[in-house]
Amino acid sequence: MTISVEDLATRQVDPTKPLLEVDRLVMRYKIKAGEVSAVEDVSFTVHQGEAVGLVGESGCGKTSVALSLLRLLPSNAEYVSGEIRLNGEDLLFLSNEEMRQRRWKEISMVFQGAMNSWNPVYRVGDQIRETLDTHYRGVMNYDDQRTHMEKLFSAVGLPPSMLDRYPHEYSGGMRQRAVIAMALACSPQLIIADEPTTALDVIVQDQILKELKRIQQDLGMSIIYISHDIAVIAEVTDSLGVMYAGKLVEYGPTASVFARPRHPYAYLLLRSTPSISGPRRQLAPLEGEPPDLLDPPTGCRFHPRCPFATDQCVHDEPPLEEIGGGHRVACWHHDQVPELEGALQR
Amino acid sequence: MTIDSNKQAAEADLGVAVGGVTPADVQGGDLMKVPMWKIRWRLFKRSAGQTWGMFSENRMGVFGLALILLFAVMAIIHPILMSTIWDPRVYDPVNGYDAVVTEYTVVEGEPTDPTSEIALTEAKLRLNPTIKAGETVSIPTQPAPPSMDGEYAHLLGTDARGRDILSQLLYSTRAAFFLGAVAALTTVLIATTVGAIAAYFGGWIDGSLMRFADLILLMPLLPVLILLSAMLEITMVTLGVMIGVLSGFGGVAIVLKSQALSVKVKSYIDAAKVAGGSDWHVIFRHIVPNVLPLSFLFMMFGVTEAIAIEATLSFFGLLNVPMTWGIMINNAQTNGYLLSGTSYWWLLFPAGLAVSFLCFAFFLVGRGMDEVINPRLRAR
Amino acid sequence: MIKFLLGRLAQMAVLFVIFLSLVWLMLQLMPGDISDTLIGNPDIPLEARIDLRERLGLDQPLWNQYLTYITNFFQGEMGVSFSRYPQDVSVVLWQALPRTLVLFLTATILAFWLGFKTGKLIAWRRGAVTEQGLITTGIFLQTVFYPWFAIVMLWLFGFFFGWFPIGRFIDARLWQGAPYDANDLFFQMIISVIVVSVIYGIGSVLIRRYSRNLVTQSRLGRAVGLASIGGLLLFWWISPATEYVADIAHHTMLPVITLGLVAFGATMLLTRSAMLETLGEDYILTARAKGIPDTVIRDRHAARNAMLPVTTSLVLALAFVIGGGIVTETIFSWPGMGLVFLQAINVSDIPLAVGALSITGVLALFGHLIADILYAVLDPRIRIT
Repeated sequence: MTISVEDLATRQVDPTKPLLEVDRLVMRYKIKAGEVSAVEDVSFTVHQGEAVGLVGESGCGKTSVALSLLRLLPSNAEYVSGEIRLNGEDLLFLSNEEMRQRRWKEISMVFQGAMNSWNPVYRVGDQIRETLDTHYRGVMNYDDQRTHMEKLFSAVGLPPSMLDRYPHEYSGGMRQRAVIAMALACSPQLIIADEPTTALDVIVQDQILKELKRIQQDLGMSIIYISHDIAVIAEVTDSLGVMYAGKLVEYGPTASVFARPRHPYAYLLLRSTPSISGPRRQLAPLEGEPPDLLDPPTGCRFHPRCPFATDQCVHDEPPLEEIGGGHRVACWHHDQVPELEGALQR
Repeated sequence: MTIDSNKQAAEADLGVAVGGVTPADVQGGDLMKVPMWKIRWRLFKRSAGQTWGMFSENRMGVFGLALILLFAVMAIIHPILMSTIWDPRVYDPVNGYDAVVTEYTVVEGEPTDPTSEIALTEAKLRLNPTIKAGETVSIPTQPAPPSMDGEYAHLLGTDARGRDILSQLLYSTRAAFFLGAVAALTTVLIATTVGAIAAYFGGWIDGSLMRFADLILLMPLLPVLILLSAMLEITMVTLGVMIGVLSGFGGVAIVLKSQALSVKVKSYIDAAKVAGGSDWHVIFRHIVPNVLPLSFLFMMFGVTEAIAIEATLSFFGLLNVPMTWGIMINNAQTNGYLLSGTSYWWLLFPAGLAVSFLCFAFFLVGRGMDEVINPRLRAR
Repeated sequence: MIKFLLGRLAQMAVLFVIFLSLVWLMLQLMPGDISDTLIGNPDIPLEARIDLRERLGLDQPLWNQYLTYITNFFQGEMGVSFSRYPQDVSVVLWQALPRTLVLFLTATILAFWLGFKTGKLIAWRRGAVTEQGLITTGIFLQTVFYPWFAIVMLWLFGFFFGWFPIGRFIDARLWQGAPYDANDLFFQMIISVIVVSVIYGIGSVLIRRYSRNLVTQSRLGRAVGLASIGGLLLFWWISPATEYVADIAHHTMLPVITLGLVAFGATMLLTRSAMLETLGEDYILTARAKGIPDTVIRDRHAARNAMLPVTTSLVLALAFVIGGGIVTETIFSWPGMGLVFLQAINVSDIPLAVGALSITGVLALFGHLIADILYAVLDPRIRIT
């Protein structure tokens, strides 16, 4: 039996107002061999109360984008240009101390491999309390904190007694839930969930996703889901973005992007999982490997693997253009993509 | 390195097409014509080259290696010198003698220059009661400071018995290397075997070996060796083996065992067993080679420890060896020169610095290798 | 936790008996026996020798001798010293043991505390100029030939600068006709330090109970610490034995510093490596994401976890400290157990040597035990399975 999350802070949500605007973000890593172009001209907007998904292969830059939002990149990462605006304020221009104060309080994160997010020598409750001590110093006393944490645990379906245990005493699924509880601790406006359900079995996966959705809606939070598992993303998000080799190649309402992908990569990616209910068709494998971002392909970064690639694709980078209903694609030949549909169904 | 570039490099090396094995190959194509040892040798050269590349990025490690080479030169030079330009009667490290004498003028009263004059009363007392002022006397001064004058050059002076310090220093280098090698090799041989066996068999074998290692860890090495040296005559070889055995079963074995454990759970071990490999085959052909880099690392630190222990035992006068650095310092101490400060520095500093620097060198090499083996320590 | 402790103690006891047995075995392997040493003169008639052997129980079957040896040891009966006749071995060791303990403990605790702090700091800020210098110093301290280093330290600070006395435990001239016994006074000093430490410990525990706030905790902790040290100094300042106590303390400082410096170097390097490993862990990234200030991450998260491998190394460091203790005591002529042991070896005073070695074994054992306990306290994964 879970306690309703109404006790936790809720806020009024206006879905038309933007919460987070990523505006032409360019980020590169400096390594010995040169510069790795990890995030290249990525722009999207997360509205209040919206659930946004980011999909793509490993190394496409989605985690880099996520870490950029919290400015948690390693020291050899450089923000070349662009802005990240939270409620209008550019996060990239803040001082370290100012950014530190916003972390977790405004934006929190559920990390990939949440198992290792826990420090093994401290109790789970103490590690959650740490966030409250940091951001609500003087506002909450010890008992308030305890009550709050118990509510958090109930919200994710964990018994409050587990707060006094150590991380190694938890099971995998429990650890994941605890991480979510911790992410909610300071009632952030935005949660980033990076592969929240990898390494969990399917049943637990389903439970956690449903919980997250419920919490998100009840609390009026926005959430960014990052995953390479399209099926998961399609279920829970309002908008969907597809990334490839550091670029955002398609973005729009989930229903639209999922039903009618218009970028060849997005199409092949979304059609690479079999559908039980849909029409019978061949699986469309993607040939080749993602490019080396130290020396990325010219023009459209997907051209080496694209069935529609032409000379123009090699020389000119396609811009992210609107094709109707908030659906944007970055491809010179996006109108040819529906041909693939027929080809596969033979 | 990606799969492709590896493939290309291998092809360039071997001069044949390396790729997916097709039926044509199996039926005696080009690939079969290259002998196995040649392939292994070239792969070894490549991985050695890569390892050296990573190692050489660490300046300290390379510096350590250079130092070791310097000491090796020192060790080799000694027999050469002894058989060519050095007269063994003078320069032999144990039995040589050079009657370095200084001329003093006998003066009445207090001498104004103590390095060339001697008081009459003192001369009468020390040498000859019939001596008169104004005469010159030759007094053997051992230990003599470094000098190039005189019939024989003593670049680092002589000790209290007239033996050349530089010769002693160079001679002892050989002993140090020898001891270090024996001790370290023994330690690593034992520890690797013990670790691999314990990891592989598990169960009571593992349990008892680890309990035994706990016991060894418990015994402080130096006091035990001191006690042993009082009871037995210990030579270099014996000492090396003793150190090796006492260290090999202890802490190093424990660390290598956990490394062996992490190798054991890899799938190629299962594959080898399924393919019918006997236990010993799996242990020595698969587990041990993958533990070797770590073993090699401990060998470096083992040399450091062995040299220091030998020098300490020699310093206490407990070893039955002709000449080592420790004995040089021991000689200085027994003749009462240690706390004389800088007046007789050549008795104390060359030997002490030699031990320190050789240990320092091996330690640096060990640390350099540590960075190669453990990627997380590398600076980005 | 208690179960864990008892289990470890039992293990230790077994290991120690095995250790004692091995020592006894080594003794038996020696050519001849005690009576040969006692009666060095071959002219003494055989009957006297046989009589002596009977009295020493050497005609008993080996097994009986072994049992007697073991039981005697645990009763504190270790025979009579040859070289310090007629003192019992246990009496000699009882005097020497506290001094060695003081040397070990002070040097080890200081070195670990300082070494850990330093290692923690330089790992946090990589690439600082001081990092390379400190690493080199650390390596130098770790690999330098210790006897030579001790000699140089003694010469430099005792002889050349004259800041410290040149070895020995006390200045004999000062103590001539003094109303105090050096040993008694030394004991009193130890007890006073223990008392103050206990007070500090209790104080820290109380602070932790009554204040949840981390900042007040550390401030109060510092205050109590300073008050304890101040109280200790004040106590000895107003005591009539001040100059004697100061003399003992003065003589103790240089050996402790010398031994401690080497342990410091090793600890610092090890802490740095451990920190670098820990900093790569995921929970550090999580801590940064939580908006926790840098110093808190460094201390509460990274360093706290880095302490684990460093504590394990305490066990290995023990072997060094014991060996190094012997060398230190020899060179500084500091009359602790190590010096007693070495002197006994040199004059073949077997009972004393063996007794000293056994006590050293006991020390090593306790060191292991403490390290194990510490590790269990620090790592809940060991405590709670």
